[in-house]
Amino acid sequence: MALIEMQNIHKTYRMGETLVQALRGITLSIDAGEFVAVWGPSGSGKSTLLNLIGAIDDPDPSSESYRLQGQDIFSLSDNQRSEMRNRNIGFIFQQFNLIPVLSALENVMLPLQIQGVPTPKAREAALRRLEQVELKDFIDHRPDKLSGGQQQRVAIARALVTHPSLVIADEPTANLDTKTAMVIVSIMKELNRQEKTTFIFSTHDQRLIDHVDRLIHLEDGCIVEE
Amino acid sequence: MKNRRRSLFTVLAIALGFSAVTLFGAFTSYMYAGNREGSIYSSYMGHILIARKGLEDSWREDPKKFLLTPEEMDYITRTCQQIPEILLIAPQMRINGLISDGKTSTIFVAQGIVPAVQDVFARETRLRLMEPYEGKPLSDTDIYGVGISKGLANILKLDLGSEAVIMGTTVDGQMNAFDVTVSYLFNAPAAAINERFLRVPFQLAQKLYDTDGAHYISLLLKDTKQTEAVRTKLSKIFADDHRDLGMKTWNEISEWYNKVKEMFDMIFFFLFAIVFIIVVMSVINTMSMSVMERTREIGTLRALGLKRFGIIRLFAIESGLLAFGGILGGGFLSLVGWFLVYALEPKWTPPGITARIPLQLYFSASQIMMSMFFLLILCMIASILPARKAAYRNIVDALGHV
Repeated sequence: MALIEMQNIHKTYRMGETLVQALRGITLSIDAGEFVAVWGPSGSGKSTLLNLIGAIDDPDPSSESYRLQGQDIFSLSDNQRSEMRNRNIGFIFQQFNLIPVLSALENVMLPLQIQGVPTPKAREAALRRLEQVELKDFIDHRPDKLSGGQQQRVAIARALVTHPSLVIADEPTANLDTKTAMVIVSIMKELNRQEKTTFIFSTHDQRLIDHVDRLIHLEDGCIVEE
Repeated sequence: MKNRRRSLFTVLAIALGFSAVTLFGAFTSYMYAGNREGSIYSSYMGHILIARKGLEDSWREDPKKFLLTPEEMDYITRTCQQIPEILLIAPQMRINGLISDGKTSTIFVAQGIVPAVQDVFARETRLRLMEPYEGKPLSDTDIYGVGISKGLANILKLDLGSEAVIMGTTVDGQMNAFDVTVSYLFNAPAAAINERFLRVPFQLAQKLYDTDGAHYISLLLKDTKQTEAVRTKLSKIFADDHRDLGMKTWNEISEWYNKVKEMFDMIFFFLFAIVFIIVVMSVINTMSMSVMERTREIGTLRALGLKRFGIIRLFAIESGLLAFGGILGGGFLSLVGWFLVYALEPKWTPPGITARIPLQLYFSASQIMMSMFFLLILCMIASILPARKAAYRNIVDALGHV
């Protein structure tokens, strides 16, 4: 059974009086353990697709189905979706989106604390993840004291701390220089290889494309090439 | 909580509001206590007055009819002695008549008390200045020495040691008169009676009315809180013994106390409401700004799996923390206010009182707890509206917020 199964997904945005069709009948299947890039120009619908896969946005009612680990996502309530996201999906954002008043360690502990994991256990798991992304010496640093690359590594640790089956990264290297971007991709790739966690990330950076197992090419809201 | 300056101002607003309510509450508690103590102790009325039923309404028609007989006085005294909560049992007379200095005459009303009780009343009250007076108190050995209110003394040009004549009608309708000496001058408990009030020894009052009875038996209790319990106990005994006796408690007699309390309760309520509206608006403003600034953060938390209720709870806790900080600050400001009042000892003249009395603050634990509770709850509720708005916002929109 595929990890992600999408059938005929549509998404339309209203911008004032204009309706913009961001996704036009996407049908997609991704297996567990894949390392996938969604590639395409700006406005092609990459982020929209990732938001829908991550269950943080709703498709048009005309959409057929979306199953994650066999579970029908459209039928879940908001609370059930929140729980599902917390347990099964990790997010890595372009702007890192770390909580500025929390230290690196506290940021990584956050998903576990939302889950209700006791603090000592959450701390231990977060430390392990920060060690994996080579930030052991920065655990007490707040995000504003970390470089862009370090912040994104904290975000990776945060995304993986709950051992999710899926990690979604929306343009994870867009705000990083080439060298740091390559480091981030290699870390993600390594974690994918070691833990068999499925990674889906969007990018329009041609240099990163070479590192992925599978490439989904989007244009005008449609998959034009796989 | 991120914007320190804004949070500080909110905490300050809460602190000022809380201290204003607490200090005003302490002032009202002092007012109530002052009026209560005045009604019970300064007026020498005690906690409960026992009289024949109907005395209050129709004593002018036939004063003799409502006088307690020596047998009744003895019965009441014996009955009350069995009740351990009662500290003092003393008869009282309420008389009126004319007082003259030989040239000028005017009407008077007088309270006839047993002189020995004065010390007990003064000892038991928590008033710092029970009833300021000049001269020496009433004495059991000099039954013609009387206390005269300063307003009345001014009218008759009387001073300490001056002599005057009091005239009244005996219970049989005969005229009676006695020479009296001014033992002390005092401010009557209410301005309305300051120009006609006397306090005389009980024996002199009995002699003027030519009676061996009394209008009241006054009971002073060990604790004001026991008033209702003692009244209930006595009512049952009097009913079982088929005695035609009625009772009035200090708060039933003191119309002034009840009105002042009602008025200050209302003022306190309005102040409480105004202060809390200001505080709540301030908290809503702070939390709304905070929610707006942290929209992306809220989106991140929602994406990470925090439920909507979790977002609302998060802001409610933050608001609660602001309120807690404000309460601590307000508590400190209240202590500073109390210390200033204690150290400076300001004096004031309350309405209806003729003397300047020291201003005090009596903190009431129940009032403070109530204010704290309402402040915490209201601040937390105040955060719900903006937090709810944030929690229900589309996650993608929130993440894209700049």
